[in-house]
Amino acid sequence: MSNAQDKAPITVNGITIDDTFAEAFGMTGTGIVITADTAKWAMQAAITMTGYGTSVIGCGAECGIDRELSPDETPDGRPGVRCLVFSFSPDLVEKQIKSRVGQCVLTSPGSACYNGLESKTKIKLAAGIRYFGDGWQTAKKLGSRRFWRVPVMDGEFVVEDAIGITTDAVGGGNMLVLGTDRRGLLETCEAAVAAIGRVPDVITPFPGGIVRSGSKVGSKYAGVIASTNDAFCPTLRGAVRSELSADTLAVLEIVIDGLSSQSVADATRAGLKAILETGPAKGVTRISAGNYGGNLGQHHYHLKELLP
Amino acid sequence: MSQAGTSRLTLSLRAEPAERCDLSALTPGRIAGMARADIERMAIGTTNATLRLADVFTVSGEAGGEIVIAGGSTRLDFVGAGLDGGSLTVEGDVGAYAAAGMTGGTLTVRGDTGPWLGAGMKGGLVHVTGSSGAETGGMRAGDRYGMLGGSIVVEGNVGPRAGHRMRRGTIVARGQFGPTAGARMMGGTLWTEKGFAADPGLQMRRGTLIGPKVERLLPTFRDAGDHDLVILRILSRDMAARLGNLAPKPLPLKVRKISGDLAVFGKGELLLTA
Repeated sequence: MSNAQDKAPITVNGITIDDTFAEAFGMTGTGIVITADTAKWAMQAAITMTGYGTSVIGCGAECGIDRELSPDETPDGRPGVRCLVFSFSPDLVEKQIKSRVGQCVLTSPGSACYNGLESKTKIKLAAGIRYFGDGWQTAKKLGSRRFWRVPVMDGEFVVEDAIGITTDAVGGGNMLVLGTDRRGLLETCEAAVAAIGRVPDVITPFPGGIVRSGSKVGSKYAGVIASTNDAFCPTLRGAVRSELSADTLAVLEIVIDGLSSQSVADATRAGLKAILETGPAKGVTRISAGNYGGNLGQHHYHLKELLP
Repeated sequence: MSQAGTSRLTLSLRAEPAERCDLSALTPGRIAGMARADIERMAIGTTNATLRLADVFTVSGEAGGEIVIAGGSTRLDFVGAGLDGGSLTVEGDVGAYAAAGMTGGTLTVRGDTGPWLGAGMKGGLVHVTGSSGAETGGMRAGDRYGMLGGSIVVEGNVGPRAGHRMRRGTIVARGQFGPTAGARMMGGTLWTEKGFAADPGLQMRRGTLIGPKVERLLPTFRDAGDHDLVILRILSRDMAARLGNLAPKPLPLKVRKISGDLAVFGKGELLLTA
């Protein structure tokens, strides 16, 4: 991963913004609505289902919680959570959904699972899960939507037959936040993730939305496809061609996946705004972004164009 | 929907027809673009005497998205049969096979209907302010299934064998369903606010019967106890969204489930709401 800085950076609120761009990739994305008897248990099922979903490389999918839903917004009138799942292709998304819903939502007390993305293109949600009913599963078709009812020990697990997908999703929108105080940097990134969380149709799939182990493509070791982003590792300053000034103590990255390119752009704008408002008092000195020179990813998000 | 438009064609019944009439050709889609004179010449008789539409009705207005039949008769068969869009309103009774095979649009009958209302229908909405006859949402001779989709709302009572071989869709009765409602049912929902007459669900394989009480249960239906079913919340909300003020009252959170017909499959359910 390189960070082209052939143009002059600009400074806002004392924070330097590199004249560079985040390079992101086309993905397949879907939305799932999980409901339960209480908001707590809807969230519990959502957290479990989206777990181990940080990077598509290692986890098979990038997953996160888009937002909480009020009872008025869900098919069964109970509190819910909308989760987003991204992977490389519809087949891979379907495979991930099948195992994640089967292991994490079906098993969660009182849960039900519905389509969370209106789209003409659909993948199966209940194709394998319904057979847990061992022949006692039944379906109820209401209008164009079919709901499967699978007998379980606390009643029935209701799961919608199919969910919408989009192949216009984007994965890998990002920003790198540099600072002189690690705790202040973390608090700034938390504020940015919270701001991004208010943008619809996006997730920040890493722990708490924040990555401390940004990567570059390749490694000195054969077979390792990604390794530490040495140019942004403070401890390697002096040993490698570093991107960091002497006072930079730490770098954190925020990765954004969205159901559309526009949603990722909106999220980047919201994140930048939060960093520029929160960061100056927290030791944030610079914002950059990760890219591969612009030739690999179809989507480029130039930081300067997305400044608030 | 095969046509669009807001023009209204009104047919006023001159007198009780001398024979049974087949009005299946009279839907907004089938008469779209026809001149009034051609509509008046449409053959609607069912005997060797060639009965024309103008022999039975006076016609006014123009073909469009709405047809109104002012005045009803139990000799008017196949009203709205095959309706695929627009609206058809009858100010009075209709005969057999109203809305049979319907796929879309709205049929409103301000009166009673004969048998086979909505038989084999696949979509759309039927609203009957009176009562409906036998085999409502049922199966026509030669068909494999009964109702396959859409909604029927009957303000009064529904006759025997409603939902016979039904697979999908919903029949709502403000009154009571007659004997053997849901016979050989394979899916879909029958929902009554008054209750079921004797022997509902005879040989039903799947499907849902909802009501406050039942006059007599078949011996092959077994009490499955109390349930708080998520699907009923979905059903209540779907009905409210689809039917608006025609929707039945939302279901209580807890219902008594009777499983059946255990003589054939046992995946059907009778849900008692009171």
